[in-house]
Amino acid sequence: MTTGTGALAVPARPQPLADALQLHAGDNVATALRALAAGEAARVGGGGHDLQVGLSQAIPLCHKFALVAIAAGAVVTKYGEPIGRATRDIAPGEHVHVHNLVSARAEDGGS
Amino acid sequence: MTPRALSDMTKARTFLGYLRADGGVGVRNYLLVLSITGLTGPVARRVARALPGARLVTMPYGGGLLGEDRAVHLRALAGFGRNPNVGAVLLIGSDPPKVAALAGEIRAAGKPVAAVCLDDCGHDALTLTDRALRAGARLHREISRQRRQPAPLSALFVGAECGRSDPSSGIAANPLIGSVADSVVGLGGRVVFGETLEWLGAAHLLARRAATPEVAAALLQAVLRREAVATRQGLDLLGDNPGPTNIAAGLSTIEEKSLGAIAKSGTAAIAGVLGIGEAPPAPGLYAMDAPAYSPESLSGFVAAGAQILLFSTGVGNSYVSTLAPTIKLSANPEAARTLAEQLDFDASALFEGRQTIGDATAALLDVVVDVASGTLTWGEVLDEGDEVVSRLGEAL
Repeated sequence: MTTGTGALAVPARPQPLADALQLHAGDNVATALRALAAGEAARVGGGGHDLQVGLSQAIPLCHKFALVAIAAGAVVTKYGEPIGRATRDIAPGEHVHVHNLVSARAEDGGS
Repeated sequence: MTPRALSDMTKARTFLGYLRADGGVGVRNYLLVLSITGLTGPVARRVARALPGARLVTMPYGGGLLGEDRAVHLRALAGFGRNPNVGAVLLIGSDPPKVAALAGEIRAAGKPVAAVCLDDCGHDALTLTDRALRAGARLHREISRQRRQPAPLSALFVGAECGRSDPSSGIAANPLIGSVADSVVGLGGRVVFGETLEWLGAAHLLARRAATPEVAAALLQAVLRREAVATRQGLDLLGDNPGPTNIAAGLSTIEEKSLGAIAKSGTAAIAGVLGIGEAPPAPGLYAMDAPAYSPESLSGFVAAGAQILLFSTGVGNSYVSTLAPTIKLSANPEAARTLAEQLDFDASALFEGRQTIGDATAALLDVVVDVASGTLTWGEVLDEGDEVVSRLGEAL
């Protein structure tokens, strides 16, 4: 993980493996592990497969972006569980938050 | 604090613990000085101070309890005494029949118990102090003869808790606890999580993980009941949830917020729903229907028999159990840097994308085995612990 430089090697801070985390392999969103800029190719870890997603928007720390195209009305999944439904079509690399994601509970008027 | 390869003991799936007569294994070998009424708390404090190393638990009330409140009170007292981390119990109370009944319940676990009552001392606190101290000193010496022996990790019963969370908790620290919980359950151990309030909005998802339809119904019912308690007090738990701070931090829905907390439970099937301090009947993962406040939540786990607690925090939380070593972890890099004498495990590498969940899981499991075998947590070193039993109703 670190690159040694012979006898003078100091324990380097390991380079980040990922810029964002997919909390479960089936999730269609990832969570930013740092503030990510528009145009960045975010390296997504956690899902057990290498994934890079070009970001169309800036993504603040701990906010989510789409890993794949999510159609309006489709279930958004994080932790391998539904966290709500898309209220409009969401493109890969787009910010997913309260402007395009609604709780299924709010939608149903509670459960 | 730094990630490392699995220790030999973790690989061998063993730890060094105290084998108890009832088959339990303690990760500590405490003399518990247990005052079961508010009247005897001061004497118990005096006695515990005079017996260095003894653990003190005082119940600040006792008379006039009714119904479920009384049942939880008695179950918690017996549960503290029966916890495998307790080698012997010095019971201090007022009323001889109540003290004798409790002593009998704890002795049934094959554990030495000495009982002293204020009623038998002419209600003289100094006589009670003298008798309690002599009895406690004998027990303390007796249990010091016990030695740690190898025990299987399947003997572990781990409680999962979070407190003073921040965005790093739901993304890194809680999923990490969940991953360790999966390991412990997979090894044949027991895991409990609680904080019913945090299942709000995700109870239907939790119910899908229930082992039986009855357990699913109990999970849903537990949340509905707590919601009804809030509603009766004029609180709308779902009205503004997630709140503006949550939304600014990236949480979009109540499901997402709750799943971040529930992530501590891992992915195993939920074998049952326990009442406060209720012991799980078999290995597996259990949900405890209990208040979310950490002191009450942790004591519920400890009374149920948990020997070790995994407690995630975002910005820091110094509270620990006094009877069960509480491993404090945070994935917040700032907290990890500034709270070096509070956090037993630094999970910030996971949050910063510098470590995989698999490597972090192995490292934390190693810390669990290490602490179970005797290494002190910061909370133990600094003696930050207490036990607090929930009150569920009015007393007479």
